[in-house]
Amino acid sequence: MDETNQILRELRAAIQEYDAARAGALAERSLAEGIPQVDSLAAMTEAIREVGEAFGRGDLFLPDLIGAAKALEAALPVLRQAMIDEAERPETRGVVVLGTVLGDVHTIGKGMVSALLTANGFEVHDLGVNVATSDFIAAVRDRQARILAMSALLTSTAVQIGPVVKGLEEAGLRRQVLVAIGGGAVTAELAHALKVDAYHATAPGGVDLIVSMLEDKAEAGLA
Amino acid sequence: MPGFPVQIKKMEVLGLGEIEAIREAAFDVMATTGVMVGGEEAHRLLEDAGCHVDRERSMVRFPREVVETALAVTPRSFVLKAQDESNSLEIGKDDHLYFFSSCGLHTVDLDTWEQREPTRKEFHDFVRVLDSLPNVDGIAPFIWWGFARVPQAMRLLESNAAKLRLSTKAQGEGAVLGNDTWNVEMARAVGQDLWNLVNPVAPLAIPEEESAKIIRLARADMPFSVTAGPTLGATAPATLAGGLVSNAAEHLAALVLAQVVRPGTRFISGHMAHAQNMTNGSPFFGQVTNALQAAGFNQLWDLLGVPTYNTCSTWTGSKSIDYQAGYETALAATIAAASGASLLPMQGGMTAQLAASPVKAIIDDDVAGMIGRFLQGIEVTGDTLAVDLIKQVGPMPGTYLGEAHTREWWRKEQYRPVVADHSSYEEWATSGKKVALDHAREKMDALVASHPGTRLSASQEEAVESILQEARAHYRKTGLITEEEWAVYQEDLNSDEYPYA
Ligand code: B12
Repeated sequence: MDETNQILRELRAAIQEYDAARAGALAERSLAEGIPQVDSLAAMTEAIREVGEAFGRGDLFLPDLIGAAKALEAALPVLRQAMIDEAERPETRGVVVLGTVLGDVHTIGKGMVSALLTANGFEVHDLGVNVATSDFIAAVRDRQARILAMSALLTSTAVQIGPVVKGLEEAGLRRQVLVAIGGGAVTAELAHALKVDAYHATAPGGVDLIVSMLEDKAEAGLA
Repeated sequence: MPGFPVQIKKMEVLGLGEIEAIREAAFDVMATTGVMVGGEEAHRLLEDAGCHVDRERSMVRFPREVVETALAVTPRSFVLKAQDESNSLEIGKDDHLYFFSSCGLHTVDLDTWEQREPTRKEFHDFVRVLDSLPNVDGIAPFIWWGFARVPQAMRLLESNAAKLRLSTKAQGEGAVLGNDTWNVEMARAVGQDLWNLVNPVAPLAIPEEESAKIIRLARADMPFSVTAGPTLGATAPATLAGGLVSNAAEHLAALVLAQVVRPGTRFISGHMAHAQNMTNGSPFFGQVTNALQAAGFNQLWDLLGVPTYNTCSTWTGSKSIDYQAGYETALAATIAAASGASLLPMQGGMTAQLAASPVKAIIDDDVAGMIGRFLQGIEVTGDTLAVDLIKQVGPMPGTYLGEAHTREWWRKEQYRPVVADHSSYEEWATSGKKVALDHAREKMDALVASHPGTRLSASQEEAVESILQEARAHYRKTGLITEEEWAVYQEDLNSDEYPYA
């Protein structure tokens, strides 16, 4: 028991010290020691939540937040892999397809969204920048995504979000996927006009919103 | 003659060995990791020039000799032709500095500091102000993101047209959705060059849209600048030196492509690297390290023989025209100017590139004037040493005030600010307690009122209009102008305010 607590404590510390290699190794060790994956996952989630709260208070900064997310990212697959083997794999929070819209090459906000979603237990597929409508739709279909997140920094190309939403409808995929948008060019009005599900002006706020909307959906028996 | 000659010793923040180390590191990154370049045509051109192209990953590795060959044919200086030939600029020539206005997104209300889209009239007035300010040598790309009632796809075209219609100065314009073709045509129609913007994207990428633009512009023999806009810590190393290395690789990759397409292509390397605000991810413009790094950038590109522009002076983080806006603008501009930037966009920018103000441009024009004077340095000749005069005037109560030497020299030696308040306290207190901002607001009204109006002949006007019509038809056909946008635009085009507001 002491051994178990020690490993979980170290796992938490590795995440809070941004040490991806150590977090990965500790995840392996937790398996070797027979610690239930749910316990390791709980320790890791708590660790990243504390980092997120410190970031919110202004005690920690973006590189710390992203660094902790990366450490978590290193440990997660190890635990998940083991769960597949045991056929008791708890779902990731869901698959996310993410990208910057067609005609737009800005990456920084998208990168923040990606890191934070990963840290929150989502499986993120980043399609990059200048993503064609058809590529978004194909990825949502092929990856069976629960969330499509799009970033748009240019007012001239933010309109490209429209055809994606329309394309999802035409492909019969609209109901399966929660569409979230953000980026400098996107406003609440635009989000409303485009009939997307979620918009937020910041990456952390957007991720919180996505999480809570999925929880609401689950409660309503929709997911 | 526009611009300012640099007659002081240039400021150096790096030693030669340090600059060379940065250059070598950039060559190393280019030759080993390479740069991601999109587009089959770019791949073919670069491969023919001796680069190694991995088509599957779109990664291009640049052997050192290829980069050096391209650098050897890149002009160290070139002419950027203005509508009025006397306003043409010789970019990079003999350490000469030119100021451009800034680019921004929205206008700001001078009482509430709230931001909003400008109207056509406000946009035209901004151009009138910039056309009139003595130290604005050229008008920048998207001084604002166009103006209200114009479809998004037409914003930078209407913006360019407004500038060509109301100013004979050198000009630049941004590019989205392939609008550069029409912008270049419009500039040609009024007999001038257009400085275009190309953006490699940090880290280490030139997307297909941008590589295609490089090829188009080089073929059209139009000058352009490249700016990958690295954010240190996010899209580049957090260190100033590391940021210079990755940024040099990005820009040199674009330079090679441009010079392969057309040797001698007029090319400017633009410093837009900036720190990141680590609390929310936004760009930290106004940070002094941006200017410090720009100074190193200017030294590096001077060694490479390529003209530079720096954006560190362009955008203060401040949302109002206040003390922060003043010191962030002036400090960065001074450092950039003293370290040898060829072109410095400055007048008007604020709110981390999200706003600009013609009134701030008027105040900034004084900053430009002061910096220009500073760059002219201290003239040391027999006449300026004034030894005979010193002996002649002698000790107290001698005075220089009535001397011909004073009448001749004080005007040459001093920079006289236009809007800064230098009245005595009594004068100030009894004449409305005005500060620079008040003087600048008054000045704005005067400049707008005295502007001569259109600069185009009837046939040039016709040519510009027909190019705009072609673009409108194109974007409507391709669905990039929506029906709603078109309806509002039609009202604008049919109003008395079109084409001049
Ligand atoms: C850096 C930058 C660049 C760099 C980008 C480098 C890179 N790797 O990304 C470079 C130099 C390449 C660049 C190029 C251009 N740029 Co630029 N760029 C900027 C700049 C300075 C900062 C953008 C940024 O990274 N912000 C920081 C990040 C963190 O903000 P963000 O992405 O908005 O993300 C935040 C939120 O929006 C949110 N978020 C973002 N995405 C999502 C998604 C979801 C789902 C959610 C929930 C939230 C969310 O989270 C973040 C905060 O927590 C802005 C000006 C500014 N001050 O914003 C101009 C700006 C965006 N660019 C602009 C322009 C015009 C261009 C060019 C067209 C210039 C040109 N050539 O003419 C080209 C674009 C070419 C193209 N086809 O895209 C304009 C856009 C104007 C407009 N009307 O839309 C701006 C506003 C500047 C201006 N004054 O006009 N640019």
